[in-house]
Amino acid sequence: MIDSLLLWALALLTAPLFAGVIFKVKAFFGGRKGSPLLIHYYTLAKLCKKGSVYSTSTTFLFKLGPVVSLAAAATALLFLPMGGQPPVLTFDGDVIFVLYLLGLARFFTIAAAMDTASPFEGMGAAREAYFPIICEASLFMILILFYRLSGDLNLGAYFAGENPRGFWQTAGSPLLFVVIALFIILLTENARVPVDDPATHLELTMIHEVMVLDHSGPDFALIEMGALLKLFFYAAMVARLILPLQPGHPLLNLGIFSLGLLLVYVAVGITESVMARHRMDRVPKFVLTSFALAFFATIITLEFLR
Amino acid sequence: MRLFFLSLLIIASGGVLPLLFFRQFTLMRILGATFIGAGCCFGLRDAFARLAGGGAASASFDYLSTLTLAFRIDGLSAFFLLAIFAVCLLSAVYSFSYLSDPRKALGTAVSYFFFSLLTAAMALVVAAANMITFLLAWEIMSLASFFLVVHDHRRPETRKAGYLYFVFSHVGAMFIVAAFGVLYGGSGGFEFDATGLSQTAKLWVFGLAFIGFGSKAGVFPFHVWLPHAHPAAPSHISAVMSGVMIKTGIYGILRMVGILELYTPAVGTVVLVFGVVSGVLGVVYALGQHDLKRLLAYHSVENIGIILIGIGIGMIGVATDTPLMALLGFAGGLLHVLNHATFKSLLFMGAGVVLHKTGSRTIDALGGLLKKMPVTGATFLVGALAICGLPPFNGFVGEFLIYLGSFEGVAAETPVLALSLLAIVGLAVIGGLALACFSKVVGVVFQGEARSPAAQAVDEKGGAAMLLPMIVLAAACAVIGVYPAAFLYMPLQAAAALGLEVGRIPLESVARLSTNITLAAAILLAALLIVWALRRLLYEGKPIGCSGTWGCGFTQPTARMQYTGTSYAASILEFFKPAAPLEEDHPAVAGLFPDRTHYRSHVHDIVELHLNSAVVTPVTWLFDKLRWIQHGDIHLYIGYILLAIVVLLFFV
Repeated sequence: MIDSLLLWALALLTAPLFAGVIFKVKAFFGGRKGSPLLIHYYTLAKLCKKGSVYSTSTTFLFKLGPVVSLAAAATALLFLPMGGQPPVLTFDGDVIFVLYLLGLARFFTIAAAMDTASPFEGMGAAREAYFPIICEASLFMILILFYRLSGDLNLGAYFAGENPRGFWQTAGSPLLFVVIALFIILLTENARVPVDDPATHLELTMIHEVMVLDHSGPDFALIEMGALLKLFFYAAMVARLILPLQPGHPLLNLGIFSLGLLLVYVAVGITESVMARHRMDRVPKFVLTSFALAFFATIITLEFLR
Repeated sequence: MRLFFLSLLIIASGGVLPLLFFRQFTLMRILGATFIGAGCCFGLRDAFARLAGGGAASASFDYLSTLTLAFRIDGLSAFFLLAIFAVCLLSAVYSFSYLSDPRKALGTAVSYFFFSLLTAAMALVVAAANMITFLLAWEIMSLASFFLVVHDHRRPETRKAGYLYFVFSHVGAMFIVAAFGVLYGGSGGFEFDATGLSQTAKLWVFGLAFIGFGSKAGVFPFHVWLPHAHPAAPSHISAVMSGVMIKTGIYGILRMVGILELYTPAVGTVVLVFGVVSGVLGVVYALGQHDLKRLLAYHSVENIGIILIGIGIGMIGVATDTPLMALLGFAGGLLHVLNHATFKSLLFMGAGVVLHKTGSRTIDALGGLLKKMPVTGATFLVGALAICGLPPFNGFVGEFLIYLGSFEGVAAETPVLALSLLAIVGLAVIGGLALACFSKVVGVVFQGEARSPAAQAVDEKGGAAMLLPMIVLAAACAVIGVYPAAFLYMPLQAAAALGLEVGRIPLESVARLSTNITLAAAILLAALLIVWALRRLLYEGKPIGCSGTWGCGFTQPTARMQYTGTSYAASILEFFKPAAPLEEDHPAVAGLFPDRTHYRSHVHDIVELHLNSAVVTPVTWLFDKLRWIQHGDIHLYIGYILLAIVVLLFFV
């Protein structure tokens, strides 16, 4: 319990660090030196020092949006096993709760965006409402597979202890599909290239960044932190799947888990460097790929299990 | 039973008294609202007592000295009575402020009369213990609600909606009569008893009853009347109709399941598939609506779908002997009945306040209402979160149970697994679409800037009787969501009445489940408070400014430039084009300085679109061909009667 709480706190603290890796990788591909690894800490600190300017169109929902999105992401991480340790909290069906919790965060982010009466933010909000629908379907597809493999319906049963390795032993190659599907979901849910480009110069083509255009100061810091935690949440799942090793010593376990995380963040950076953003009307097809992969993985595994 | 009949009497007097006192406008409304409300309070007390272990009660009376009117209230009836009386009580309170036009005094009195009749009839439907009683109550209910739908009968679209509702409710009733006929043929009595029926006959009864009850419940593809009738009725009536009246259809289906004991996987599959289709298409059509109340009406189709998914999972669980799956499915579906009654009536009441104050139901003409109507806006937001199934509100609890029930089926062999898969992915897609739809409604109607002068000049003055029920309902959404333990025993009692042996199912797993939900909600609330405190701390002594929205370099924005609900939903609707054909009307932009232009769009309901060519045209063609029978010669008519008597004599 104490270990798990410490790991949770560590996750909150290091999520910005890992995200800095993405910038470094992109800089490397661009032949630049890039921003320092700790850039996200500097940004957060700078934002926290500032005041805010609120739009006259906004209501209390605008201020509630960042709070809910950060609180939901932090709560979701409580249910996530890290480094093979059991999670802080777990119960039967906590996966469903966590997914709907992230849905709650999404609702409030959208509400905060719609509060500003800006057409651009409305555009981003509409996309934010659309793409995750498909993500949710494929996530539940993956859950069905995991439930079938482990007989449990909680994150602890999937990602703690020896479990991911057991999955590889029974499901084998179909689990590769799941890894790719989860990675696509990660890219979509966290507004990364090729779904969304946070670094574009045009508000018209953004999703997440345009939704938070009007947020400033500590509010914006809360949003950034929430987004970093959400990215960490998905990255941790992929990391456990690709490096399911569990040597035994807690520090060694943690080391392997961190290496896995690093790999995922580097992969995100590489994807961002070598790919261009899809046209918006092509994105659903891209996201649907993840559903197809998860679906096939489930079907194939069922055949094996029989 | 005495308390039950007393409550009906008080409700009925709440309908008659306004007719007598319609000249004193305020007195009339006080009488109507108080008596109906008081009657509902008595009824609620009775239903609670039954659910808390009072056991079943029954009563019967002779009617026309040949038939018996029999009533019986068991756990299932009491559960539905609870929803009926609670929503009608709050709607009665709401109606006091909503029906505030003294020029329509007589119309208001008539509306109270039919409202009381509807309330009493719904209570009688779920309490009826034989076919005659059931059908009598069912017809009273359909007719009373028909007159409530045509309340605003001067508008042609209201009359059209009323006509459509009339046709649908009677075709539906015919199917129910047919089902009862088969049942009667097997058992030889008017009691609900299916012991003597063959398996085929049982399937016929269920099939016919499913169509009949399904058309009342608004199951796709029998839902066509629903999006027309709900918006046409006054808002508190929409709340009653959508919140509880359509649930009598669900009650009918469940009662049939209980009577027929038809637990084969095939029947459960049919219910489940209808549920998934209703759920997904209901919310897709809702997304495409421009009319706020019509949108909410389509969401009823969606939520009936979710309830049917739960029932289907429950039936499959019974059929495959997976007790936990059965219990979770039925309990989830039934709890969703109660949940939908709370949040949907809350949302309709909210839409009613918007309509009352702005005179408009067009989503894209509203905006910014949250600032001037904080209570309406906040309670509507709670309702929206609840209907999206987001924690920590009640919608989540019901869906959570259904999810868990479906996952129980994943462990089973392939055919059941495929159904569970359908249910789970269906629920996930429904959840995501509902979130998109309600973020659109909240965002466009209540947030941003007002798009029309009517939406600009609003307030909440003089509507206390409208706001109070909404606050109560919003609180109920939160309480059930955070502390479901107190409410979970109700659907379990109802499921026990279905003949499911709840006793042999490990109930502690369900109890543990509710503590888990409470724990998770508490942690979420704690996290929210901590982050909120952090935010306060960070803003300590900081400069906070106020300015216009950042317009990306554009300096002359108008409210009409906001993203509209239509554009918000456009890309999602594009995805569902085959099921929801979109008709657009806008001339192409031509030249350097284009003229004033316009844009209109309409999402077609495929059932409505094809109803005419697939059903209406063949039926009229058939009757056209049979017209020669009716030629106006009275002698031949007498001949028909004679012939009929002779034929009957041979058969009987």
